Amino acid sequence: MSAIELRGVAKQYPPREPGSLPQDLLRGVDLTVRRGEFVAIEGQSGSGKSTLLHVLGGLDREFVGEALVLGCDLRAVTDAELAALRHTQIGFVFQSFNLLPALTALENVLLPDFFGDGVPDAERRAREALDRVGLADKARAHPAALSGGERQRVAIARALVARPPLLLADEPTGNLDARTGEGVIDLFRQLHREGMTLLIVTHEARVSHAATRILVLREGRLHADGAEAMETE
Amino acid sequence: MKIGKLIRLARGNLVRELGALAVSAGGVALGTGCLVFFLALGAGLQGVVNQVFPVSTREVEVVVPQLAIGNLLGEQKIDDATVQKLRALRGVAAAYPKMQLRVPAVTRFSGPFFGRELRMGLEVVATGLMPELIGEDARMPFEDRGESQPVPVVVNRRLLELYNKVFAPQRNLPRLTDSMLVGFQIPLELGRSWVVSRSLPDSQETSMQVVGFSERATLAGVSMPLAAIRRINRKYGADADTYSSVLVRAQSADDVGEVAAGVRKLGLEIDDTEQRYAVQIGAAVELVTLALSLLAALITGLAAVNTMQAFYASVRERTREIGVLRAVGATRGDVAAVVLAEAAATGLAGGVLGVILARVAGALLDQIARTGLPDFPFKPSTFFTFHTGHLALGVGVALLAALLGAFLPARAAARLDPAKALTES
Repeated sequence: MSAIELRGVAKQYPPREPGSLPQDLLRGVDLTVRRGEFVAIEGQSGSGKSTLLHVLGGLDREFVGEALVLGCDLRAVTDAELAALRHTQIGFVFQSFNLLPALTALENVLLPDFFGDGVPDAERRAREALDRVGLADKARAHPAALSGGERQRVAIARALVARPPLLLADEPTGNLDARTGEGVIDLFRQLHREGMTLLIVTHEARVSHAATRILVLREGRLHADGAEAMETE
Repeated sequence: MKIGKLIRLARGNLVRELGALAVSAGGVALGTGCLVFFLALGAGLQGVVNQVFPVSTREVEVVVPQLAIGNLLGEQKIDDATVQKLRALRGVAAAYPKMQLRVPAVTRFSGPFFGRELRMGLEVVATGLMPELIGEDARMPFEDRGESQPVPVVVNRRLLELYNKVFAPQRNLPRLTDSMLVGFQIPLELGRSWVVSRSLPDSQETSMQVVGFSERATLAGVSMPLAAIRRINRKYGADADTYSSVLVRAQSADDVGEVAAGVRKLGLEIDDTEQRYAVQIGAAVELVTLALSLLAALITGLAAVNTMQAFYASVRERTREIGVLRAVGATRGDVAAVVLAEAAATGLAGGVLGVILARVAGALLDQIARTGLPDFPFKPSTFFTFHTGHLALGVGVALLAALLGAFLPARAAARLDPAKALTES
């Protein structure tokens, strides 16, 4: 059973200046991702990688075509149903971490628990997630007191706390040094081994090489890079 | 979203934006503080009016019409038969006839008066009342004990207030209290007048004794037992059969209209002079309170606009965070609820602060009035009456102003496109 099913997904941005043409970011994207797959999508800056990720995450509904994520037709559901999907089924990791500065690391990880029906046994799970990313001792620290790598790991812990089957990551190592980035990639490999479906957009080869399949987004369309990547241990 | 979690999430943002939100809360506090202050001032002044013009909603004073044709012909009068008719009217609980002293009388005092030497002569104006009307206000028996005994009198409290605040300071006389005067005897000469400088053939020297203070007593003079007035009037050949007025008490305030109609049918009228004064002054106080309250409402409205600007700025600054909230499962409603919870906290803080400010300002002005204003009749110990309802209203208005102010920013936050919000720099 597929985790993601896209058929002819297209998205156009309005012209930036009067008189100029609208910008086609996605031009009929077709994509099938099986459950448990680790897919990396490469592409140049401005190629529409983040836009595709927002569409897949139900954050952007202004597109044409069909999009099914974990069996949910993203264009057919209500806003509240989409929020519930993001809450329980999808974890997001952003390039710029996007932690709430007023909350501690633990509270940031607990953020999904604030909404919907909350997260069962949230506090224990949040501490486990922090422990898993090696930040058990930083639970009470605020984002300002954490390094870039630590912030990203808190963001990953937040994405994992609700134990979603699908993880979407947007340039997760983009703001990290090589060593810290490697730690994050190792974590993704581990999650993949545990059966989680991962879709990561990146322009870094070291991240792509961890994936089982690499796709390239070029001129608004997805292309296979010609060779299926070998699953790395 | 559960309320406890909502508060936790809002609290974090409130702490972070304390400066900007303190300004908003300050504006709300100023508006609601003014509102509570003016309402309390209005209620306090209304209390003073009620003290000066005590008006019963169940009682009316029935008199003979001054311009009645029957009155000109000597037919319109209030006698025992009329009083019986009044008592028989539907809705009447009781009727208490009153009779003026229709014989000239004076008092002449020379001697020690509570530590001061006093010489004075006054014309005595007296009204006869039924003892039941005075009731427990009389601390000694209020009944006629015959010609050889002092005539018991009851004095209106307002008269004592006027003496203490106006007459005593001007004449350097001692200030008096109820307990000092009860039992005090003053000479009384019946059948004599200072005004016309003449005496009736069998004028009599007696005395009157203060037996109590009551709001029921006449304001113009002293009140004596009805039987004593009747006896004195009869002795000097004055009219001792007709009454000057009747206090009619209705069974309830709702019955007063029907009672008044019955009174008019009997050819009598209701003297509502004092009630009209109370109503007119009360209306003036209410009008001024209303105008000042509207001013306070305007200030609160401006505070709401200020709150709106502060929350728009806050939402703009937190656009990306709002995108994150949506990404982890917040609905549009959740986002709006977070913003409104922050506004509610701001409004509550402003409301409580406003109430405290109003109370402090009231206490300060009372202190200034106590020390800076001269002592005048009916000067209250406080000019403010802070009803619990006013305080609740103040906090409620503050809450409402903050929520109304934050409504549009909350809606804007809820409507943010999460994808665009996440890419906001």
